[in-house]
Amino acid sequence: MIKKSLLLVALLVSAAGSLQAADMNKVLHVAYVAPENGFDPAKTTDLYSSGISENIFDTLVTYDYLARPLKLVPNVIEAMPEISADGKVYTFHLRKGIYFSDDPVFKGKKRELTADDVVYSMKRLADPKVNSPSAYLVTDNIEGLHDYAKSLGGKPFDYDKVLPGVRALDRYTAQVRITAPNSSFIYILGQIHIAMVAREVMEAYAENTMAHPVGTGPYMLKEWKPGNKIVLEANPNFRHFELTSDGSGQGVDAEIASYLKGKALPLVGRIEVSIMEEEQPRWLSFVNQQLDLTSVPFSAVSRVLRPDPAHPGRSKLMAEWEKKGIRLQQELMPEITYYYFGMTDPVVGGYTKDRIALRRAIGMSLDRMRAIRDLRKGQAVPMQNVIPRNFPGNDPNFHGAWEYDPAMANALLDEAGYRIGADGFRTQPDGSPLEIEMATSPTAVDRQWNEAWQEAFDKIRIRLRFKVAKWNELYKASTEGKLQLWGSAWTADYPGADNFLQLLYGPNSGQTNHTFFKNDEYDELFRKSLLLPDGPERNAIYDRMNRIVVGLSPWIFGDVRVGNYLSNPYVRGYKQHPILITTWRYLDLQK
Amino acid sequence: MLAYILRRLWQMVPTLLGVMLLVFIVFNWVGGDPSYILAGKRLSPETLANIRTHLGLDKSMPEQFLLFVQQVLHFDFGPSWSTQQPVGGILAARVGPSLMLTGSLLVVELLTALPIAILVAYYRGKLVDRAVTIACTVAMSISSLVYIIVGQYVLAYKAGWFPVQGWDDDSILGAWLFYIPLPLLLGLAVSLAPSVRFYRSFVVEELNQDYVRTARAKGLSERVMLFKHVLRNALIPVVTAVTSSLPFLVLGSMLLERFFGIPGMGNELLLAVDKSDFPVIKAITITIAISTMVFNLLADVLYKWIDPRVELK
Repeated sequence: MIKKSLLLVALLVSAAGSLQAADMNKVLHVAYVAPENGFDPAKTTDLYSSGISENIFDTLVTYDYLARPLKLVPNVIEAMPEISADGKVYTFHLRKGIYFSDDPVFKGKKRELTADDVVYSMKRLADPKVNSPSAYLVTDNIEGLHDYAKSLGGKPFDYDKVLPGVRALDRYTAQVRITAPNSSFIYILGQIHIAMVAREVMEAYAENTMAHPVGTGPYMLKEWKPGNKIVLEANPNFRHFELTSDGSGQGVDAEIASYLKGKALPLVGRIEVSIMEEEQPRWLSFVNQQLDLTSVPFSAVSRVLRPDPAHPGRSKLMAEWEKKGIRLQQELMPEITYYYFGMTDPVVGGYTKDRIALRRAIGMSLDRMRAIRDLRKGQAVPMQNVIPRNFPGNDPNFHGAWEYDPAMANALLDEAGYRIGADGFRTQPDGSPLEIEMATSPTAVDRQWNEAWQEAFDKIRIRLRFKVAKWNELYKASTEGKLQLWGSAWTADYPGADNFLQLLYGPNSGQTNHTFFKNDEYDELFRKSLLLPDGPERNAIYDRMNRIVVGLSPWIFGDVRVGNYLSNPYVRGYKQHPILITTWRYLDLQK
Repeated sequence: MLAYILRRLWQMVPTLLGVMLLVFIVFNWVGGDPSYILAGKRLSPETLANIRTHLGLDKSMPEQFLLFVQQVLHFDFGPSWSTQQPVGGILAARVGPSLMLTGSLLVVELLTALPIAILVAYYRGKLVDRAVTIACTVAMSISSLVYIIVGQYVLAYKAGWFPVQGWDDDSILGAWLFYIPLPLLLGLAVSLAPSVRFYRSFVVEELNQDYVRTARAKGLSERVMLFKHVLRNALIPVVTAVTSSLPFLVLGSMLLERFFGIPGMGNELLLAVDKSDFPVIKAITITIAISTMVFNLLADVLYKWIDPRVELK
C-alpha cells in the first residue's frame, strides 16, 4: 500500500514537473517551398528560417492568433509595455517562470528567462561581429546602440557595459529608451529577429549559432539537414499556454476558439518540415495526406479552384477536393508588387512634367487586369494604394493606379513632346533616341511578364530592351540606382503602414528606397506620421503621401496576390496569419 | 606501369590548378555577389561591408584565389556562406543518398542495356533490331522531365505503388527499398535508350571485324565467339563510358533528387548555385575534377587488364 502511494505521488510530481501537453505521437508534416538558412534569429532574414525560429524563440510581444485587424498582445511579459508620456521609454515586466529548453550549456539546471536576456538579445543585434542584417531594428531606434557599435572599431562588443538605451532594472524588468517617439516601435518588438536568446548559449556555440537554437518557445530543434529536412519537437519546459482570444467569434474563429478552449498548447508533439521546391511532389504529397498543410500550387490553380466571378480574387474549391474534406482559406498576402523607375536616371527619372508623363504613360500601357487574369491566374487584386488592403491606413476608396488606357497614354506622350520618329518609335523631347531598359531575371515567369510588357511598350511606340541577369546582380545595381525600370515586391514585416511608405522615404535611398525617390513634403509627412497613433489625423497624412506618389509616379502599381492555403480534413485549429509565418503551436491533428 | 601512374598523378597538378582558376574566374564573373542575398531586405553600407569582410570578399582577387588554393590543399572549404555549416559535413551527408541512387542506376542500367545491346546487335538489321532502334529513338526524344512528372503522377499517386517522395534517414536499407525504386525506375527509363544505342554500336562494330568471320570459318560456336571474343573487345569503349560517368555518380541526379526529396549532392549543388554559395560550389567542383582525373587513370589501367595489347605510355 505504501509502495503504491509512493508511486502515485511520484507520478503526480513528475506530471506536475512537466508542463508539456503535446502528444508526441502526433506528427505535423509540412513543406517549405524554398530552403532555410539557419536558426539564429539575429543572423537570418529569410521567411523559412524565421518560420522555424518563431517556434523555438519568444519575442516580448506577439500577435493575437485570431484577431483581425491584427492586434499585438503580450507574449513573455505580464502586460503590454508601459510607455512614458514622451513616448520614448518602454518598460517591460517579464513573466516569472519562463524557461529555456534544456541544453548541455545549462549544466542540467533549469534556466529562467530574465531581463538580462532581453538586454543581451537587443545588444547582440547591434554587435558588428554578429553581423546581423536586422541590426537596424535596434541601431536605428534604441538610444546609444548605433554610436556604441560604431565606436568599437573592431574591438569586441562589451555586453557588460551599461548602455542607457537598453538596461535591466531588476531580474524581471527591462527598459528601452528610443531615440524618437515611433508608433511602430512596438511592432519591431514582435519581430523574430529581436527574439530572446541566452548569452551563455550564444557564447558556447559562437562558431555555429545557426545550428544551435535554444529558446523559450513551444518547440526545439531536434534534427536539421540543411535544405532538406527540419524536425522540431515540443519543448518540455514550455510554459502553460492557452488560446484566450475569440477573434470575431464567428465562423472559423468560433470553431477554433471552441476547439482549443482550455487546452494547453502546443498539442502536436513533433513537426517535420521537408523542403520541396517542385510543385508536383508537394501537391501530390498533400492530396495523399503525406503533408497536412499546403498552398495551392500555381500550376494547379485551374484544377483546384473555381474563381468567383462576382468577387475578383475570391475562389472556391472544386467539388472533387471539397468532397475529400480539404479546406481552403484565402487571404490577401501582406504585400504589394510594383514596378519602379530609377528616379535619378536621365531618361525615366526626374520630376519634370515630361518625365512624369512618360512614367504615367508606361503605367497606362500595361493591361493589369489581363495580366492578373492570365499571369496570376486570377489570384490577385490590383494594387491601388502604397498601403496594402487590410492594413491600418489603407483607404479602400483610394484608386491610385493608372488604369489601362493606351489611347490616353499616347496622347500624354504626344503632348509631352515624345514624338514618333521615321522608324515608328518615339524619341525623347530633345529628339534623341528613346529606349527603356527593363531589368528581369531569366525565369519562365519573368519571360511571361516580359511578353506582356513588350506588348505594352509596342502600344505606346517606345523601344524596350530587357536587361536579363541573376537576381542578386540586379539587386546590387538597384541599390546603386543603376536600373531604369524593375519589378519589385515588399512583404510586410509588421502591420504598420510606415513599413510600406518607408519604401519611398528619401533617406532610405539605396537601402529600401531603390527608386531613389526624394520629395521633401513626403519625407516630412513620413516623419510626422511616426509620431502619431492610428487615427484620422495619421490617415490624412497617409492619404496625402499616396497622392504625392500618384502625382509624381515613381512607381507603376502592380497587384496584391491572394494566398490560397489548404488544410487536410483532420487538421484542427488552422487559421492563416498575415504576419506570423507559422501557426503550428495552435494546430491539432485528429486522424 | 608504376612510372606511368606516377607521371599521370603528377600531370594532375597543373590540370587541377587550371580547373581552380576557371572555377574562380567563372564564379566571380557570372556568379553574382552573394552579399546582396545575405544582406536581407534593408541594405546599409555598414551591413554590406560587414558581410563582405565576413566572407573574405574584401580581400584582393589574388588573395582570394590563394585562399582557395589553401582550401584545396587542406580539402577544407570552410563554412557554407548561406547556412554557415561546415561544407565538409554538408557534402559528407549528401554523398551517400546520391551514390545510392546513381550507383544503383549505373548497375541496373549496365545489367539491362548491355544484354539488350548485344541481342539487337547480334540480330542487326532484323525486325527485333529495328523495333528496338525505333523504340529507343522515340524514348530518347521525350524529355527526362516528362518521365519524372508522368511517372511520379501515375506510379506513385494514381497507382500508389511507390511513395510520392521522401527519404528514410534512419535506415539505409529502408531508404533503398522504399524510396529509391521509383526514381531508379524513372532514371532507367531516361537512360536505357541512349545506352542501348551506344553499346549496340560497339558490338556491331566488333561483329564486322575480320576476326569474327575467321572465328566463324573455323567453326567456333556463336556463343563462344560472341561472349569470349566480341564482348571482350567491345568492353573497352564500355569501360571508357562507365569510368567517365563514375565521378558524376557523386553528383547524383539533380532532377530526380529534387522531385523525390532525396537529400543528395545534385540538389545541394542546385541550391548552392541559386544562393551563390561559393564554398559549396568550390568543394563540389573540385571533388568532381579530382575524381574525373582519378577515374580516367583507372580506366587506362583497366584497358591494359582487359586487353593486354594496350600499351600505356
